[in-house]
Amino acid sequence: MDFYSFVEGPLLWIAFLTFIIGTVMRIAMFLAISRKRDQVMYRYFSWKYVFATLGRWLLPLNKDVAKNPVFAILVYVFHICLLVVPIWLSGHIILWEESRFGWSWSPIPESWADWMTLVLLGIAVFFFLRRLISPDIRLISTLSDYLLIAVTALPFMTGYFLTHGTLDGIAFLGDNMQLIHMLAGELMLILIPLTRLSHAVLFFFSRAATGIEIGRRGYSM
Amino acid sequence: MTEEINPKEITDFLKPKMGARFKTWVEICTHCGMCADTCHFYLASGNDPKMIPSYKVRFLKELLKKKGRVDKAYLEEIYKTVYYECNMCRRCTLYCPFGIDIALLISLLRGLLHSQGIVPEGLLKSIENYKEFGNQMAVSKEDWVETLEWCEEETAEELVGLKIPIDKKGAKIMYTVNAREPKFYPQDIMEVAKIFHVAGEDWTFPSEKGWDDTNLAMFASDVETARIVAENTFKRADELEVEKIAITE
Repeated sequence: MDFYSFVEGPLLWIAFLTFIIGTVMRIAMFLAISRKRDQVMYRYFSWKYVFATLGRWLLPLNKDVAKNPVFAILVYVFHICLLVVPIWLSGHIILWEESRFGWSWSPIPESWADWMTLVLLGIAVFFFLRRLISPDIRLISTLSDYLLIAVTALPFMTGYFLTHGTLDGIAFLGDNMQLIHMLAGELMLILIPLTRLSHAVLFFFSRAATGIEIGRRGYSM
Repeated sequence: MTEEINPKEITDFLKPKMGARFKTWVEICTHCGMCADTCHFYLASGNDPKMIPSYKVRFLKELLKKKGRVDKAYLEEIYKTVYYECNMCRRCTLYCPFGIDIALLISLLRGLLHSQGIVPEGLLKSIENYKEFGNQMAVSKEDWVETLEWCEEETAEELVGLKIPIDKKGAKIMYTVNAREPKFYPQDIMEVAKIFHVAGEDWTFPSEKGWDDTNLAMFASDVETARIVAENTFKRADELEVEKIAITE
């Protein structure tokens, strides 16, 4: 098996399984540990506050949007592009159709995918520069914060190069862009449960826990 | 300042307290900085980046990563931050997209320092007073009861028939005060006695530990003492079979 087949086959399985099992484990661990050490969460548990706080923060209805509208909206747009493009890209859906699962769903138009990718990359650059330039954010940033922005942007950048042949003139990159793109995507999937990218799932639990706490005290959620 | 610290003591303290929320919070903070300008220490210091709430709790992550292998100077650094740069108001929590409760993390660090014997002097004295006398001002039972008695005597000159009931079983309200009142401001006790008298309330003071409704041990995250202080009050209420506990303003 050559490297390409490995990346396309076994490594893809490893990446998806790490992502799925890893995130499920993170959730299971949160629930198991909280049963023992965060009883206050269960004693005052309220679906009302859980839904209220998740709604407020999944939609732009929270205090940060009012306080810092430009940054908050960019964060929302970034995350929407991050979820929509890889799932509804026609090129990806074709691969699901051809796979052993044979799953299929309607794609978004190519031009949307292109624009959303560029918007995401633009915002990623902004996040990166903001960390570098703002004295506040630079102080609290760690090396991993910079690296994780790169990890997140890389699949989108390589995907754009791949679909547009932007770098095809450069011998090595032109020949291997698909390989690089797959590796970048796999790296991100693997890192989601293992790094603070795990906020993809833990957001819901952390948000809910605090929603219960501040909701019952009558603070703004 | 290179006095050695026993790392095991630090990890033994932190580990059982790292619940699912604390673990998650330490892990997922993306250092977005939305908490920065919600902090009054940040604003009052002319936007000093060191006052960003997210930055102030870096210690917890570092302590866990270093497995407690830090020196005394490091703990002193934590002390400066958790006592002089945060009063645990929780405003940053309201603005954190993940709802990370920075104040609780600060509280955990204060508790760790307490376990290492690092507590502001005045606060430490109060904690000792709670343990010995059940109130922060080291007022003995004799002094407390005597104070109530002469307060009653003096106030009754103004309002004839006024009583300050002590240990009255089955009263509706058990009233509790800040220990500063018998110590420095007995006139507060007299004022409230007048109000209860004129309103015709059925009320009482307990003579035993539990009448001080402050709980300063909480501010050092000395959970054991804080628990005893709260339990004292409830114990007295049970003994006196009162309906309600009222606390001073």
